[in-house]
Amino acid sequence: MNRITLTLALLLVGGVAVSSFAEVHPGTEYIEKNGYNGPETCEECHPGTAAKFLETVHWKHASKVTNVDNLDPHKEYGMKNRIYTMCNGNDVVNNLKEIPKSPETGKSKFSGCNTCHPGNHLSDVGSTGPEAEKAIDCLVCHSSDYDYRNLKPFKDEQGRIVMGQDRSVKAAMSVGKPSTKNCMTCHEAAGGGVLVKRGFMLSKKTDVHAANGMVCVDCHKSKDHKIPTGFDPNNWANDGVRISCADCHSDQPHKDAAYNRHTAKIACQTCHIPRTGGAVAKDFTKWEQSSDKFYEPATLKKEANETVPVYAWYNKTVANEPHFIGPKGSRKDGKSKIYPFKIFLGKAYYNAKDGQLLAMDFAPPMSNGDTLAGVASAAKTLGIKDYKPVPGWQTIYFGSNHMVTKEKALNCINCHAINGVIPFRELGYKDTEIKRLTNPDIYFRKMLKKQEEDW
Amino acid sequence: MKKFLSIAALCVFFAATLFFVTGTAQADEIKMVGVITVIELAGKDATTATVTLKDNKTGENVVITINDELTLDKLKDHRIALDDEIRCKYKVIDGKNVSSYFRKTAGC
Repeated sequence: MNRITLTLALLLVGGVAVSSFAEVHPGTEYIEKNGYNGPETCEECHPGTAAKFLETVHWKHASKVTNVDNLDPHKEYGMKNRIYTMCNGNDVVNNLKEIPKSPETGKSKFSGCNTCHPGNHLSDVGSTGPEAEKAIDCLVCHSSDYDYRNLKPFKDEQGRIVMGQDRSVKAAMSVGKPSTKNCMTCHEAAGGGVLVKRGFMLSKKTDVHAANGMVCVDCHKSKDHKIPTGFDPNNWANDGVRISCADCHSDQPHKDAAYNRHTAKIACQTCHIPRTGGAVAKDFTKWEQSSDKFYEPATLKKEANETVPVYAWYNKTVANEPHFIGPKGSRKDGKSKIYPFKIFLGKAYYNAKDGQLLAMDFAPPMSNGDTLAGVASAAKTLGIKDYKPVPGWQTIYFGSNHMVTKEKALNCINCHAINGVIPFRELGYKDTEIKRLTNPDIYFRKMLKKQEEDW
Repeated sequence: MKKFLSIAALCVFFAATLFFVTGTAQADEIKMVGVITVIELAGKDATTATVTLKDNKTGENVVITINDELTLDKLKDHRIALDDEIRCKYKVIDGKNVSSYFRKTAGC
């Protein structure tokens, strides 16, 4: 018995040692000896990687987009240049800058959408060439010991605004596969605060994948830094590679044949992501003053798991109108499935002359609350001379693709009931179908058996 | 008589336990928004930290105890730092203001 215990213990210790060893990135001895000099050091072992990285969405903040209406197929779109009401600014009109001094405090601060760009701002979103390659902040994504005090804008001796980086040997010595923390450095506080934009928290408590020790890049597995994404109607830029639940789970993932039959018309997310969260609405036309006397857009927000999703047919193509960004699809097109969405409404200024949504430079309103000055500044940057700003609302459907649950997944009773979560009528079902689909007869015995097993 | 006293003592013990346990569990959650003025963290392996927040509404300093792993990690690598404005919920447990929610208000 003791011998068996000892053997198991040794195997366990050995396993832990091997797995720990496997996590140590090769080349740390070189870094310790030669110091860390940014991408040049990384390129010693990964030649050509920096140049390839410049071609990705993480660097360009844009790509060609083929599944969204009313876009020019020859142009690239993304947070670099998009105009919508979750952000209303973008990298172009709301470029990182020192905002005008607050009239109340006389203080200024740095602000801009491209603070979440892995360059140094001198080599900015979409820049190319050797200087851009040298400017890449490899460690912000790959170091587990990054000192975030360095990751902030400052003015250099020439008065240029530079985005700081941690290029210390200490940070470089802990280089490796990005952890959830690395990804959430930028993705957590997008849209104006923690969990505001997408409203999901990838933690052991809230996501079955995280509970099983998985991190973001276990699903979003990249090749040449091209990171696969799903088809969130509001997330347009992509690296041309996609992921879906079925990549790992197949399209017949359940032991129960009845559940498997659902996968033809019901997306996995519909049952396995029963809640969403984050910002519900924002008003960019009237900003609120914060304790530091600067202004921020007024935002109504909920916690990560507090909001019931909206369900709609989605064939992975997107309606893109000035007042609506959301899923296209129908019950009868043969391509759509029912998906859950986080719904969001944003108020901003539209151009009464052509009905288009106007963008905003955040610097003026952040300083003194003057939102129309922000619109004027953005219009000037974009060369728009003939405009008349009028407030209006835009509805946006966000994909709900995280916070996956197995235990709290919807079951027959949640949907197939008169007060069930699926709005059958709105989804195109006839009254006779609805009567049948919401009658317990279709699942009564099966759920009764499960109920008995549970107790 | 001895038996009666023992039962009475047991009852008192259980009543006291119930009072303290429920008293702790039902402590009111307090919400505040404030700016970090002090961070006290005992090294990289610390399992707890205290952060002083200056309450935006009252101007008073409130010392918050942080025990959760994610916030501790953010304090250690300075994702949360001095002068950051924080939205915080805490409960008073054993005389300490123990955080249950501690997030920066700012985003991009």
